Amino acid sequence: MSIEAKNVSVSLGGNRIVHSASLVARPGQVTAICGPNGSGKTTLLKAVSGDLAYTGEVYMNGRDLAAMRPWEAASIRGVLPQATSLSFPFTVREIVALGLMSGRSGVLAGEERRLPERALAAVDLEGFSGRFYQELSGGEQQRVQLARVLCQMWAPVLSGEPRYLFLDEPVSSLDIKHQLIIMRIARDFARRGGGVIAILHDLNLTAMFADQVVLMHKGRIAAAGTPADVLNDDLIERVFDCALRVGALPAGNIPFILPQSAA
Amino acid sequence: MAAVENIDGRSRFGWAVADGDRSARARLAILILVVALAATFLFSLTAGASDASIRSVIADWLGLGELSARDRIIIYDIRLPRTILGVLIGSALAVSGATMQGLFRNPLADPGIVGVSSGAGLGAIIIIVLGGSFAAPVVSLLGIYALPIAAFLGGLATTMLLYRVATRRGQTSIATMLLAGIALGALAGAFSGVMVYIANDQQLRDLTFWGLGSLAGATWTKIAAAGPIIAAALIAGPFLARGLNALALGEASARHLGIPVQLFKNISIVTVAAATGAAVAVSGGIGFVGIVVPHLLRLLIGPDHRFLLPAAGLLGASLLLLADVVSRTIVAPAELPIGIVTAAVGAPFFLWILLRRRGILDL
Repeated sequence: MSIEAKNVSVSLGGNRIVHSASLVARPGQVTAICGPNGSGKTTLLKAVSGDLAYTGEVYMNGRDLAAMRPWEAASIRGVLPQATSLSFPFTVREIVALGLMSGRSGVLAGEERRLPERALAAVDLEGFSGRFYQELSGGEQQRVQLARVLCQMWAPVLSGEPRYLFLDEPVSSLDIKHQLIIMRIARDFARRGGGVIAILHDLNLTAMFADQVVLMHKGRIAAAGTPADVLNDDLIERVFDCALRVGALPAGNIPFILPQSAA
Repeated sequence: MAAVENIDGRSRFGWAVADGDRSARARLAILILVVALAATFLFSLTAGASDASIRSVIADWLGLGELSARDRIIIYDIRLPRTILGVLIGSALAVSGATMQGLFRNPLADPGIVGVSSGAGLGAIIIIVLGGSFAAPVVSLLGIYALPIAAFLGGLATTMLLYRVATRRGQTSIATMLLAGIALGALAGAFSGVMVYIANDQQLRDLTFWGLGSLAGATWTKIAAAGPIIAAALIAGPFLARGLNALALGEASARHLGIPVQLFKNISIVTVAAATGAAVAVSGGIGFVGIVVPHLLRLLIGPDHRFLLPAAGLLGASLLLLADVVSRTIVAPAELPIGIVTAAVGAPFFLWILLRRRGILDL
């Protein structure tokens, strides 16, 4: 039981964006995909989500993704895109309730009616139900979409089968408080038996919340392992093309604020 | 963000309710629209140059009163088929507008505006003009269905072309869609022009009145020809609603929610083409119903297609019946083609949408 990609390659418009990438995302773990812009993170996640044609194999809980119907995949994983714009005036609650469409939230039928409100409370958007989605800020919209995905995947384990959240830059437009709230939701989902694959740019958040880090570089997987194994000076410098020192304190009295310091 | 919520809950996107769940309001609206349609139906039966009152018609139905033979003919042979046709056409136009807007994720998509009606019209014109010569085998094979099926095929070809041109990787460009619609409309218009050029005098007369859009000349035969196709398209609506809601998030997100997107889009396109084609075949170019009705309803009950589609069918039917009453009473005993009435009301409404939401084109 896991999400498994074997030698996945993706070409877009004649360019090979992902070169035979292999990874295993296990339930109970947060798997972070990190890497510089254009290294193929989103493309790899889209292939695993079934959005892009790929060569190689993808297995979801042992079943070949290529042979799965959309509604079968929708009962095993929920996907949070980077950003979602709407052309119709839906309210926040109406958007979140779309997550109930696949009918496999994992709560009793009587409780499903209240699930959108619970999901909104989880992403710190209590009281936003009646607002129009189009009138929210980018960060608020992103959290509404996460609430929708949480409605779809409310139970991390359903009928004995672990389920997964695929999150594409879930904290990219959020302030620090909400970054922590969202990452705790992801960690909690994994602790309760589900799996999470998240594309993250913030290496500190990655170090803090990831159980496994997959580092991508020029369309290939450069390294995969625990944060302690992967986040070292050599790899970071090579992959990000930037001389960084892990654990080094800034010189003098320049303030620095790490998410790890949050109470 | 400050200007977002006014005290009465009205924002520039419409009326919300505190908890964001507008389904109760939508159900109430649908109930009211059912009653309104029943009332408009009776009104349409009794309004016009003859003065048979609503009361005498109902009394006649109940077997209490007697209509004069003249009134009986007017009501049962002229106004009843005309009213039923109006209900069919009005709901077909409004539902195909709402479906198309959901499919293109675009509140300006309307079969009349983006050339689908012109494509359907070309199909119909070919049958009208060539029905006695080149297309004669088709007409003899399909009988009364030749006209609506030809219009359906014309509409289908246009919709598919439009979708191919305007949509890339699941994203529809509004500007491209409108411009492609103009081009497709012009192309269909050019071929229609060729047909008009080779048409004889009688066919020209038919084409002119048909092109302006009218419910006049409604017969039980026309209802039998267009009715089943429109009914099938309307029945498909509720099955499309969930998918159209999911599609509002984009194609990828709709798939992630479990919708088989490609199949779903194909069914939607066929539905739009069938409803538009059948409507155009029997009533010509009646514009703007498909854009005005869904837009008003989205302001009132929100864009949830589970409620929007049935509400659009009901309101579209009511409004078209009212427009038809206007068209046959305003210059009585002559009558104005109904397409002129809907365009006179609908075109300024369309401009109003553009003025109110200029940002829409930047999507």
